[in-house]
Amino acid sequence: MNNLCADIGWKSINHEGEQLGGDHVDIIEQNENSTVIVLADGLGSGVKASILSTLTSKIISTMMAEGLSIEECVSTIAATLPICSVRGVAYSTFTIIHIIDNSVAELIQYDNPHVILLRDCENYEYPRSELNIDGKKIYKSTVRLQENDIFIAMSDGCTHAGIGLAFNFGWKRENIAEFMKTVAGVGYTAKTLSTMLVDECNKQYGYHPGDDTTACVVRIRRREPMNILFGPPRNRDDCDRMMSLFFSKEGKHIVCGGTTSSIAAKYLGKPLKASLSFERSDVPPTAEIEGVDLVTEGVITINKVIEYAKDALGKNELYEQWSLHHDGASMICRLLFEEATDINFFVGRAVNPAHQNPDLPINFNIKMNLVEELSLCLKQMGKRIKVSYF
Amino acid sequence: MKITVCIGSSCHIKGSRQVVERLQDLIRENKLGDKVELAGTFCMGKCQQGVCVTADDEFFSVKPETVDEFFKETVLARV
Repeated sequence: MNNLCADIGWKSINHEGEQLGGDHVDIIEQNENSTVIVLADGLGSGVKASILSTLTSKIISTMMAEGLSIEECVSTIAATLPICSVRGVAYSTFTIIHIIDNSVAELIQYDNPHVILLRDCENYEYPRSELNIDGKKIYKSTVRLQENDIFIAMSDGCTHAGIGLAFNFGWKRENIAEFMKTVAGVGYTAKTLSTMLVDECNKQYGYHPGDDTTACVVRIRRREPMNILFGPPRNRDDCDRMMSLFFSKEGKHIVCGGTTSSIAAKYLGKPLKASLSFERSDVPPTAEIEGVDLVTEGVITINKVIEYAKDALGKNELYEQWSLHHDGASMICRLLFEEATDINFFVGRAVNPAHQNPDLPINFNIKMNLVEELSLCLKQMGKRIKVSYF
Repeated sequence: MKITVCIGSSCHIKGSRQVVERLQDLIRENKLGDKVELAGTFCMGKCQQGVCVTADDEFFSVKPETVDEFFKETVLARV
């Protein structure tokens, strides 16, 4: 065992005018440290392509995760896929990234642009061996993982970007690697990296994508614990116990809530300094306590974080806001979405009498729902979450 | 004189941002920057009476509409 983990994210846009994508990404967790990721690109676009790629990625990811060989997967697909009446073939290209025990990546590639591997921000050409399965040329590689390895799997919509517009022959794999090298070292999440790549492709298509375009990024990183304190304990006598458990945890510490931060400041014996800079109209300012990495207001800030989290899991259109701004919500987003892999929530269940006023849009139930909603979003981002109530 | 404005959840919703910005303007207009210090704080425990403001540790309940009045009667009168 090591302390590495895989941050996986993908983004897809459809051929102009199509409601359905012909590319499909499936991610199946085999166990805590092993994952099968499949990116499939169905022949053509629209409904037909969507069915082909969905079937292909689902069949492969499920079979691989159950431990079946690639030969069996391929013959199952060949026997299952419906045959296209126009072209007389059943066809979907695929890329498989199989992360095993967070120490080895097995790449299996069939007709998609080859996976780019950036190691220490440099393009790394890994060895490939050619297999012939049912007349299909399939490339297989085994790569021992290192921290900061970035795998980029793509559909050919990426390499075809800009044909006849920006480039004569599309955006070549080497050039995509060069482009991604410039952002590889910043620490962006896999989701952000894949979004940047697909956005750039879209730009080169002149915002009229001529093919379904998908990028899936796997970023190998070290596990990073993070602790977040939210709300005072129900019983005042539990303050010290809650604080000592919270501050004894490894990793960064975030404190959310006015009363909560006063309790933390008292426990640490340090002053609580609130700032008056309103970075944004809808999120209250942050504060500072020596020994705490970030101090923010509670419910309004967390509510904003959830809004960003939901967007990050879907269209990911707001990352330019939270990845740059200095308000409390954006800073929490960067710590939780980008830095953390293992997040411990310390949630106090005190009822704030001032919040039970029907004129205010915050009450106890809303507060508890916020925690549940946020931890669910973070789980979907692949984080390990532990919630303790006080 | 030190004026402290609560920027906690409840006061935020009741308009502490507007109160802070108006006070900043008034202090500038009256050139009191060296006499009046403006600071923020989290919850003062009197959320029902927000926006909570203290002037030299004396408590005041201020609304965005009553900032000017508060400034005239309390701040200008005392400095």
